[in-house]
Amino acid sequence: MSDSPILSIRNLHAKVADEDVEILHGVDLDLKKGEIHAIMGPNGSGKSTLAKILAGHPGYEATEGDVTYLGEDLLEQEPDERSQNGVFLAFQYPVEIPGVSIANFLRTALQARLGNDEELDLFDYQDQLMEAMELLDVDPSFAERPVNDGFSGGEKKRNEILQMAMLNPTLALMDETDSGLDIDALQVVAKGVNTLAERNPDMTVLIITHYQRLLQFIKPDHVHVMIEGRIVESGGPEVAEALEDRGYEEFKSTTT
Amino acid sequence: MADSRTINDPVGGLMEGVTDALSGEAVEALAADEPQWLAERRRHAWSVYERTPMPTTRLEEWRYTDISRKLKLDSLVRADAKAVTFDRETAPARLLESMDADHEASGHLVELDGTVAHVDLREDLAAKGVLLLSLREAVTTHPELLERHLATDALPPEQGKFQALNAALWTDGILLYVPRGVRLDHPVRVTRWVSEAGKAFFSRTLIVADEGSQVSYVDEILSDDLEAQSLVSSGVEVLAKPNAQVQYVSLQRLGRGAFHLAQQRTLAEKDSTLDTLNVNVGASVARLDLNAQLIGTGANSDMLGLCFGEGDQHFDHNTSQDHVASHAKSDLLYKGALDGKARSVFRGIIKVHKGAQQTDAYQTNRNLLLSDTARADSLPNLEIEADDVRCSHGATVGQLDQEMLFYLMSRGLPRHLAERLVVLGFLGEVLSRLPLGGVVEKVTRIIEEKLHG
Repeated sequence: MSDSPILSIRNLHAKVADEDVEILHGVDLDLKKGEIHAIMGPNGSGKSTLAKILAGHPGYEATEGDVTYLGEDLLEQEPDERSQNGVFLAFQYPVEIPGVSIANFLRTALQARLGNDEELDLFDYQDQLMEAMELLDVDPSFAERPVNDGFSGGEKKRNEILQMAMLNPTLALMDETDSGLDIDALQVVAKGVNTLAERNPDMTVLIITHYQRLLQFIKPDHVHVMIEGRIVESGGPEVAEALEDRGYEEFKSTTT
Repeated sequence: MADSRTINDPVGGLMEGVTDALSGEAVEALAADEPQWLAERRRHAWSVYERTPMPTTRLEEWRYTDISRKLKLDSLVRADAKAVTFDRETAPARLLESMDADHEASGHLVELDGTVAHVDLREDLAAKGVLLLSLREAVTTHPELLERHLATDALPPEQGKFQALNAALWTDGILLYVPRGVRLDHPVRVTRWVSEAGKAFFSRTLIVADEGSQVSYVDEILSDDLEAQSLVSSGVEVLAKPNAQVQYVSLQRLGRGAFHLAQQRTLAEKDSTLDTLNVNVGASVARLDLNAQLIGTGANSDMLGLCFGEGDQHFDHNTSQDHVASHAKSDLLYKGALDGKARSVFRGIIKVHKGAQQTDAYQTNRNLLLSDTARADSLPNLEIEADDVRCSHGATVGQLDQEMLFYLMSRGLPRHLAERLVVLGFLGEVLSRLPLGGVVEKVTRIIEEKLHG
């Protein structure tokens, strides 16, 4: 049982909902419990589209293929159901929600997980929030600020990891989490993810990135290269190193 | 335009809106026991009412609210002043609930169906000369204050047809006077309850904050749904003398069936601060006319408003920022969220008079439409006769942002909760500018209650 994948993607084709241009041309991928995977690819390769399709962004549409998550059809689920079932997407561009504090937002999200029959324990919640903020090296006043409103790039990404820490996902999708971060912020974010992975060894992580930089801090078990909507190479951490040396050009030539 | 409720005068268009209940005889009945000055004032106001044509949609200020269709004046019966006392045992649950949330107060006043039924004021404040009482009673006990200020400087009948009607027919209301240098730590809380359907209520509020005083005043008007239309007319005059600091808050939570006419005028003298917050969530139709006058140099008015409508609710906000004196500042922010077939109108003008140099005047109106059938019209305007001023105005009407909703849903919030959070955040910006403890919580709760449906 432990060997069967928690996420299984078969021949996935996808496009932008309002357009006819296909972006993913048949992606296959299996993620097992507790594994850390990285998908690397140049701009426009479709890796962010894959993240959005998995999280249920209404602007994208799967046209063919299957995605099975914990034995269920993931593509049939609404974005909130996916989240309730343990899927978490750390956004490349976190959205600003003016007037809604992080604390209020997270409280609402955690209460929604419990449903109507159970009341969130506010003391436990406070403790959990304080602990998570300490881990991510943010001031306690951070939680009182409106969600991402006027945040720097680094603050937005920390906020993503803070939410991840609070929601404790089964499957974390990290879409270009390293973009727009200086090296200090990158290390804080990486430390956050590593600590969460240690805390919950069953958590499966899919890191989507253009650069090898983040993978110096978060060590993947498996690395996949995505070019023009297809995964063209899969292997261990050595694939990332090879990419660092040779660039994407070589992989592009292998696809034609 | 002739219909059953207008008594057409051969001179043409006169006496529109005169009915069995709203008549010269009614004015005389009220004036009969009153001092000469007040009787004269009522008669004058009535003559202005009679002379002023009923507003039609041909007037810019009434373009989106068709009075002839929305207000059935001829079916209304006037609510008379009567002896009522407030009794917790028999008071409606909704009224008690609202009052109990207001425990931190300098004083309370309760008005039931247009008549003041209860007043309490902290003893130390009464000893300092603070006055909080029924306007009707004040005619006898404090005539000099009323003769000087009531329907004279702030809200004279010449302001408009319905201002005149209120000045002619008010039956009761509230007087608040804060003497020179007296500062109130907690708000004065006024709760006005309406229970009678098919009636016309005329209530008037006069607030005078003397030099260097400080006061916040929270008026909450509410009712259950009414089976027949009732007109609730609230005339409000607020005077801030030099260096006074005043916050006036109006929370309108009337039930369906109510037609609320709020006519407010504020006069800010030298170096005073006179802030207002108007919250409209109730009534079938709510019309607000707010004229903020900055008549002393260095005066400052923050003007905040929010409305949240659903069903077929109709809100019409008509504001003006009148900069008469130099070096004054006014900053208006009105926001509306509209669901169902609800509709809001915002029409605001900044007027900078000749000589009002160094004016800062800002005006922002933002609307959020939660359904395809809701509608918001926004008409900001500027009229500037001075040359050294900083003025800006802006207006937006937008839908719920799908990226915001997806972001919240991706954290496990069902769509309706995500929408609720976005709306609360949107309207909350208005409240964050009024650091008035207790009021912010109350308004937030009112909006949440309405969002829960």
